[in-house]
Amino acid sequence: MTSTLKGITLKGSAELVAEFFSFGINSILYQRGIYPPETFTRVTQYDMSLQLTTDVKLKNYLTNVVSQLKEWLFECTVQKLVLVITCLETNEVLERWQFDIECDKSAKESSAPREKSIKTIQDEIRSVIRQITATVTFLPLLESACSFDLLVYTDKDLVVPDRWEESGPQIISQSEEVRLRSFTTSIHKVNSMVAYKKTDSV
Amino acid sequence: MDLEDDTTVFATLKSFNSFISRPDPPQRLSEQAAAGAGLQMQYKRSMELLEAAEKLHSKNQYLQLDQEKRQMELSHKRARFELEKAASDSARDFEREVDRNQELLGRIKRLEEREAESAKSQSEQVEANRALRKKLEGLTQKLEERDSTLETANQTISALKDEIRELKQKIQNQDATISTQTLENQALEEQLDLQRRKYQEVSQLCQSLQSAQSSCSEHIIKIKELERRLALQEQDVVMVRTMKSEVARVPDMDKELRRLREDNAYLRESRENSSLLKEEVEGLRRKLERMERTKEELVNMELEKERLCEKLQAWENLGQSTGLNIRKPEDLSREVIQIQQREIALKEQNYTLTSRVRTVERSQSELQGELAQQRSKALEEQKKRESQDALVRRLQKRVLLLTKERDGMRSILESYDSELAPTEYSPQLTKRLREAEDILQKTQSHHAEMEVQLTKAQEETGALKLQLQTVELELESVKKQQASAAESNSLVTKEEVSTLRLKIEDLEAERQRLEEQNSILEMRLERHNLQGDYDPVKTQVLHFKMNPTSVAKQQRQQEVESLREEVIRLREHLRSLQDGGALVHAQDDSSMPGSSLCLSLPPSQEVLDLRKQMESSELRNQRLKEVFQRKIQEFRTVCYVLTGYQIDITTENQYRLTSVYAEHMDDSLLFKKGSSGSMQLMETEFSKTLGEMVALHLHHQKSIPAFLSAVTLDLFSRQTAV
Repeated sequence: MTSTLKGITLKGSAELVAEFFSFGINSILYQRGIYPPETFTRVTQYDMSLQLTTDVKLKNYLTNVVSQLKEWLFECTVQKLVLVITCLETNEVLERWQFDIECDKSAKESSAPREKSIKTIQDEIRSVIRQITATVTFLPLLESACSFDLLVYTDKDLVVPDRWEESGPQIISQSEEVRLRSFTTSIHKVNSMVAYKKTDSV
Repeated sequence: MDLEDDTTVFATLKSFNSFISRPDPPQRLSEQAAAGAGLQMQYKRSMELLEAAEKLHSKNQYLQLDQEKRQMELSHKRARFELEKAASDSARDFEREVDRNQELLGRIKRLEEREAESAKSQSEQVEANRALRKKLEGLTQKLEERDSTLETANQTISALKDEIRELKQKIQNQDATISTQTLENQALEEQLDLQRRKYQEVSQLCQSLQSAQSSCSEHIIKIKELERRLALQEQDVVMVRTMKSEVARVPDMDKELRRLREDNAYLRESRENSSLLKEEVEGLRRKLERMERTKEELVNMELEKERLCEKLQAWENLGQSTGLNIRKPEDLSREVIQIQQREIALKEQNYTLTSRVRTVERSQSELQGELAQQRSKALEEQKKRESQDALVRRLQKRVLLLTKERDGMRSILESYDSELAPTEYSPQLTKRLREAEDILQKTQSHHAEMEVQLTKAQEETGALKLQLQTVELELESVKKQQASAAESNSLVTKEEVSTLRLKIEDLEAERQRLEEQNSILEMRLERHNLQGDYDPVKTQVLHFKMNPTSVAKQQRQQEVESLREEVIRLREHLRSLQDGGALVHAQDDSSMPGSSLCLSLPPSQEVLDLRKQMESSELRNQRLKEVFQRKIQEFRTVCYVLTGYQIDITTENQYRLTSVYAEHMDDSLLFKKGSSGSMQLMETEFSKTLGEMVALHLHHQKSIPAFLSAVTLDLFSRQTAV
């Protein structure tokens, strides 16, 4: 963490947001049962205990994605990060966890740190993750085997790096949306929301 | 009657009295009739005496009776009392008795009921008894049958035992024969050894023969090889010949080769050309596609054009109808803009005019105020002037008065002068005169001053009036201007303004509609944004190539493919088996129905292993069983030999002991194992004969081994004694 107590820089903000995504994705995967709970281990972050995967392949994938994401956050070219949960049997998109990222592009020019303490940012992040954890109460149960994918909405002029490719938006047909809390580092603002497929029974 | 009952004494007395009294009258009659006085006297005396005596006696008796009566009364009272008491008692008793009676009656009834019930039950029981008796009889019959069967069974057992004995004997005989056979066997083995030795010699000879044969075969192989070589050589020769002819053909071939190379080069070029052409064709095709697309677009465009033309026509119509130079929407917009600009200009003009009017009004009001001021000033001035005029008149009057006075004074003075000597009074008078003249001069100067002031004020008022007039003129002109401006405005722009106003209203309405639409669209956009939609112009969606979903999908695909392959393989296998396995089925169904499946499917290694394991384990089990059987047999015989008792288990927890020295086959002891593990002797025919020993060893000593030993000894002694 490069930012000091004085304030927060673009780089520090990018790292904070990327870290939030890493933990947020892990906790969604744990909460939604995409990976078996025994493959998760408990760690303490943001003054709360969180679940972190121990699955080597998943870890690799997440580090790849998050490091790339950090770069883009630093360049302020990322608009959204979406975690898509797909049913493997029917190839149907069941859930979309969308994190809208609003970048303050003026921070790229002026390197002056913003005045917001990491403590307050982390408090905001904690409340977001708490809310993610609480969503299990109203989201429909994932009954079939599911897998997830991470989509990144970026600016059009961005050069697609190696090992990345373009994808569709994976929109859910007949979805219900719930807005969650947001947090801001004063450079990046992250609005979170979840959309899920309407079930007929409910 | 009561009296008689009560006392017998009274009865006798009365009877006596009556006895006495009855014969009295006839006697008296006879005496009176027959009569003598003496006798009568005597009789009377005696009678009197008797009467006196009787009276005394009766008195006594009376007293006595009285007493008795009292006593009797007393006793009677007492007796009555007692009787009453007894009566009440007896009444009470009677009541009690009645109650009891009732109770008893009830009881009797109950008892009767019970009796009836019991009679019923008795009859039932009697019937039951009869049934039971019948059953008992049946049971006894059965029992007897059983006994008879048991006896027959016992007989059969004894017969079987005899058979066993016989078989044993036979076994012994067979043992003997076996021993003789073993001897024979040994002899045969010796013979076999001899035979074996002979066989070995023969085999050695055979081996030598085989080696010779093998060498022979080798030789034959060599020969064959040589023959083959010869054939090869002949072939070679043929080949060499052909080669020679081919070599002769080589220059031709070279030529041909060159030609072919050229051809090749040409073909290569042509291929390149063709590839180029293909690319061109591809390009052209693309172009064509594009062209087609553009054509379609063109068609669409034309359609649109027509539509637009129609629209334009409409617009033009509109333009013609409106009379404005509107040909295109741009024109309209231009016109609108112009109109708006005009409107704006007019508005500006209007604003400027209104502002000017306002300024003019303001100035007018100011001027009016000034005018009022001026008027007031003028009035003041007039007043002043009037006052001044009045003052002037007064002063003139005063001057007249003063001149008259002076004239008077001068006349007086002249009169005085004439009258008096001027020396005395003249200085004084001259002084006065001078003073008066001074005053006059002063007043005259003052007058002049006043007049000057008046003229000044008049001039001033005149100037002010002029100003006022000019201002009024100005005001009027301004008013006129304003009116004219308003008139011109109203005349020229009224229509324009109204049309513009309408247009503005329309535009405003449109603007509101558009705003609403905009808000709806924004909401929709927000919703789409929430659902994950994006603007493809600005945004692109990226994801990692090797994301978990695609990996999982690939895995799934592979799995499905492998499964499909397996299914196909298995289906083929099944088909082949159905074709070829029918015969095998037909063959094997009769002999081994279970193995048909094994034959149809080649058993895997695992199944084979398992089968082997099973077989080995079964074999082991069999061996163990055999060993156990042998050991048990051995153990039993050892027990039989050592203890002299053969122990058999007849039923669960029952053991039958048969002694070696038993006189009969069925002489046996039966023991039963109790629940606590203790052994109990059961009664058999044989044990009945051993009453003494049972009493001594079992009841007294409580030792089964001692009892058994005693039985053995007894039987042994009996056998040896025989």
